[in-house]
Amino acid sequence: MSVTYGSLTPEIVEQLIHIVSRKNVIMTSERMEHYSHDETNAEEYAHMPDIVVTPERTQQIADVMKIASRYTIPVTPRGAGSGLSGGAIPVYGGIVISLEKMNRILEIDEKNLTVSAEAGIITNELNERLKSRNLFFAGYPMSLETCVLGGNIAENAGGGKAVKYGVTGRYVMELEVVTPAGDIVHLGGKVSKDVSGYDLKNLYIGSEGTLGIVSSATIRLLGLPQSTSDLLVPFRTPQEAISVVPLIMKMGIIPTSIEFMDASSVQMSCSNLNESLPIEGVGAMLLIELDGSREAQVEQDLITVGELCETHGAMEVYIAEDAHTRERIWSVRRNIAEAIKVYSPIQSLEDIVVPIASIPDVLPELERLSQRYDVSIPCYGHAGDGNLHATIVKNPASSMEHWHEIEPQILSELYRFIVGELKGKISGEHGIGLKRKAFLKETSSSEEYALFKAIKQALDPHGIMNPGKILI
Amino acid sequence: MHIVVPIKQVPETSDVHMDALTGTMIRSGNTAIINPLDLYAIESALKLKDRIGATVSVLTMGPTSAVKVLKEAMAMGCDAAVHLSDRKFAGADTWSTSYVLSLAIRNLSPVDLIMTGERATDGDTGQVTPEVASWLDLPLVSFLSSISTVQDGILEGERLIEEGYQKIRCLLPAVVSVVKEVGEPRLPTLRGKKRAMTYDIPVWTADELKAEESFLGLKGSPTRVVRIGTPSVIRDATVVQASGEYSLKSAVSQLLDFLDEKGLLTEGGTHA
Repeated sequence: MSVTYGSLTPEIVEQLIHIVSRKNVIMTSERMEHYSHDETNAEEYAHMPDIVVTPERTQQIADVMKIASRYTIPVTPRGAGSGLSGGAIPVYGGIVISLEKMNRILEIDEKNLTVSAEAGIITNELNERLKSRNLFFAGYPMSLETCVLGGNIAENAGGGKAVKYGVTGRYVMELEVVTPAGDIVHLGGKVSKDVSGYDLKNLYIGSEGTLGIVSSATIRLLGLPQSTSDLLVPFRTPQEAISVVPLIMKMGIIPTSIEFMDASSVQMSCSNLNESLPIEGVGAMLLIELDGSREAQVEQDLITVGELCETHGAMEVYIAEDAHTRERIWSVRRNIAEAIKVYSPIQSLEDIVVPIASIPDVLPELERLSQRYDVSIPCYGHAGDGNLHATIVKNPASSMEHWHEIEPQILSELYRFIVGELKGKISGEHGIGLKRKAFLKETSSSEEYALFKAIKQALDPHGIMNPGKILI
Repeated sequence: MHIVVPIKQVPETSDVHMDALTGTMIRSGNTAIINPLDLYAIESALKLKDRIGATVSVLTMGPTSAVKVLKEAMAMGCDAAVHLSDRKFAGADTWSTSYVLSLAIRNLSPVDLIMTGERATDGDTGQVTPEVASWLDLPLVSFLSSISTVQDGILEGERLIEEGYQKIRCLLPAVVSVVKEVGEPRLPTLRGKKRAMTYDIPVWTADELKAEESFLGLKGSPTRVVRIGTPSVIRDATVVQASGEYSLKSAVSQLLDFLDEKGLLTEGGTHA
């Protein structure tokens, strides 16, 4: 979409100040720097906005969008900025609308098992507030202490519990959305079935803020599981570990999580945390979580799954049944991305997803790419969903020029294999954003890509809504 | 070699609720776990078992629910467990608790080494270990950070002290408390759990221990909690702003005057 954007004039700034008040406008470069990047490599992707506004009400977002629409100013919505695909980076400058001050719980409806909240609420805080009512929102992104509800919806976030509970979209019942033209629309409702017209609610879920801004949402809640246990299972080879995943899924027990961690991921994380898990001779580990309403049932499932692992090559089956021990092993899993960054900040954190039966086929390809391009590719992720975070890490001995030359080649080969051979997708939960938009076009059929563009054109005809993301 | 590890069940720290009126911890309904610092004692004992061969017995005093922590210790690799449970034990302070533990340890004789965590994360007194040593009239090594050898009835290692480490040699049998430096606790295994599930943990009551009734429970506890309060923190802070060379000098001067007024400058200290 080729668009000539308008400039942010002092008059437009005054109008924005009038809408959100002066205290909710940020214009100094020192303070705007925070809004210029997300969790992707800032050196490569960061871009400064021209202005940041932090509205406190939906109507203020709508009024800002009307101004942006009138003057064709690009707008980038922002949640916590914990995204991994550059979705919140204002690549064309313009206005960043940060939802950080819209973080209120609007209603907890225990009869309908729903919670309504503004988009800027931290997901973890939402669950903390629901805990005393024995309820929870089953969406569980791994950046649980920072990420916000609006970001979860914009990315249709998955995370560690998707095997059993699915991704964020499964729980979204109603959305309040501000359109690029500045209209406020309500999509969906507190109903379990809805075929009344096109499914616009689900169109917005995972649209990465390119079609409108989610200002609040009503989320379906579940009863809080009363018992949770984990298994940490080391195997001699990654293949052995990954081959057990489809077997577990066929047992009739649905684990909450089945996480895969190859040896280098575990080693880096343990070393970073000063943790001493038994890793000698280990090629990979599975972290399997089970939960339920009855402790005895969870215990029985734990034994059944553990015994299956024992009969399929597990070197040992470690168990964690209390929160203290569970947190100890989960922190190793959650810390992997950070630990790899410490080892080498020049990297590409990938998010490939394949049908679960094809998971064992992914690893030899990663090994081949690693050998061919002389890079390391530690791999971990949500094996139970077929969603692996292969991380292509620059060889510290090679030059940056060489890295810039090979990175797109590696990604192109990897994505062609994942999509072409294994019928997978290039992103399961991190999104396309800025980082993968060229590859989305490369791996989509021309017909599908034309539909993507038609939708964008129909809902954002001036191309002001989070431009430069998803589509070229 | 026979090592005994007394452990305590404590509320999970993520699940602690306080009584707003009394300021005490509400224990009922809480999930109980092994005192996290006791895990290091279990780890030390199991390391010795791996190195030189030993039988590790674990024991705890508490209600029926305490069996869970004993089973978890067995799932980590402990060989035997004993549950000390009797209504008469209820409300025991550290003195009374250490008395009952010492009777149980005598019952487990011969015992070469008693290993404990440095303290419990709930009561936080650190009194039980030295009291057990006292009841048993055994040498005590507190804050043990490493064990180099256990040979010919002598334990050699290091203990953590404020200035660094102190090398120790200690005749066995002895009582030791360990600190975190002994090594990260191992994880329980499924093999261990399954063994623990079939292990019938004996329950020892006051009668079986031939305990002196006047030493037991709340009645036998000399400790009285007279008042529980939160100490008030009074901070007399002055923020001195500094920017630019002139005001930096002025800020340093103000800061020195402030410290001088409080009598915190030693003799010979001069104004800049």
